[in-house]
Amino acid sequence: MTYSEETLIAYADGELDAAARAALEAAMAADPQLAQRVARHRALRARVQAAFAPVLEEPLPERLLASVRAAAAGPHAGSVVALQPRARARWSWPEWTAIAASLLAGALLGPPLLRPGAGASLVDTSGGRVVAGGALARALAGQLASSQPAGAPVAIGISFRSRAGAYCRTFSLSEAGGFAGLACHEQNAWRIETLARAEPAPAGNGYRPAASALPPAVAGTVAELIAGEPLDAAAESAARARGWMR
Amino acid sequence: MPTDRLREELVTLLPRLRRFARALARNPQDADDLVQTAVERALLHAGQLREAAPLAAWLYGILRNAWIDEQRARARRGRLFAAVDSGEQVADATHAAPADSLAVQDALGRLPDEQRLAVALVLIEGLSYKEAAHLMEVPIGTLTSRLARARETLQAILGDTGIAQR
Repeated sequence: MTYSEETLIAYADGELDAAARAALEAAMAADPQLAQRVARHRALRARVQAAFAPVLEEPLPERLLASVRAAAAGPHAGSVVALQPRARARWSWPEWTAIAASLLAGALLGPPLLRPGAGASLVDTSGGRVVAGGALARALAGQLASSQPAGAPVAIGISFRSRAGAYCRTFSLSEAGGFAGLACHEQNAWRIETLARAEPAPAGNGYRPAASALPPAVAGTVAELIAGEPLDAAAESAARARGWMR
Repeated sequence: MPTDRLREELVTLLPRLRRFARALARNPQDADDLVQTAVERALLHAGQLREAAPLAAWLYGILRNAWIDEQRARARRGRLFAAVDSGEQVADATHAAPADSLAVQDALGRLPDEQRLAVALVLIEGLSYKEAAHLMEVPIGTLTSRLARARETLQAILGDTGIAQR
């Protein structure tokens, strides 16, 4: 059997399947000229690889490390929808209305998640408060960080007790254009403390975002409100069992 | 992917990105410029990356696009400042490397861009044909014929000293 150059190259590049590989190796054993052709291709690959291998050992230039660490300025600064780390004052109603309106008119209206039939909207502004609604409210009440359903529209991050004694939970909305926020349980509802644009959370692989992965606006509010450490899985489960009552 | 996670992953992938860029660019300085551009673009678009997606391939793709952009910009500048540009190239070829390394890098630099990219992805970075073809947005047959032509040229320039050493 004669072998095309492309087949020999594919062999040198590790691209032949087991059967083709075995057949070629048997042929090479019987045909030194064929073996020589293959050796040429393998030698070239090894030589090209070797020429660039030392780059891996070079110290990393500081400017590249700096660009990895660089705060994402500019475009990211503009994408925080809501709240800076807050001062003591609660958000006033007009501010909340503006935030909620921008959410409802913007990214949150687009996704299938929020179209009619998919359930209530994620943010409910009725009754003079901004509280979680629909799938967000259900996730905050029932979803544990340790066992997130695959493909869930809402991912729960950390849960903790606030200094005021309320249970609070961070969340991210994977399919709503990427929002993350913090809600605290208050008067039988989840009052939304912070909401900011974020990278979409990956759905369904059990990844649990750490507080450090939250948008700065959310992480700042967590740092401001948290009393002690976040709840571990057992405490989280126990709090859910008590309906998040203090 | 959360940006903080991406930053951690980027640091571990920087050596490979630098190697890839070194195979594409004309000198180490330009190569690190490409890596820096790719890092900045990656951080800007962190939200587009699903957790399960192969991060290295995504980054190679961003770097490749940055390289293509740079090639185009260079071509535009080249029409205006041809003399300056070629002078710069000579002045930059000053880093220390073993002789064979330089010979290989020089030979690679003489390949057409698309062949050089194929060699960089498959021979140097070790991607499979499928991964490389996907990244280059060409059918596998196109990739393999580019690889075959590139190998032929490299072999002609470099000779067979690689075999003699073995």
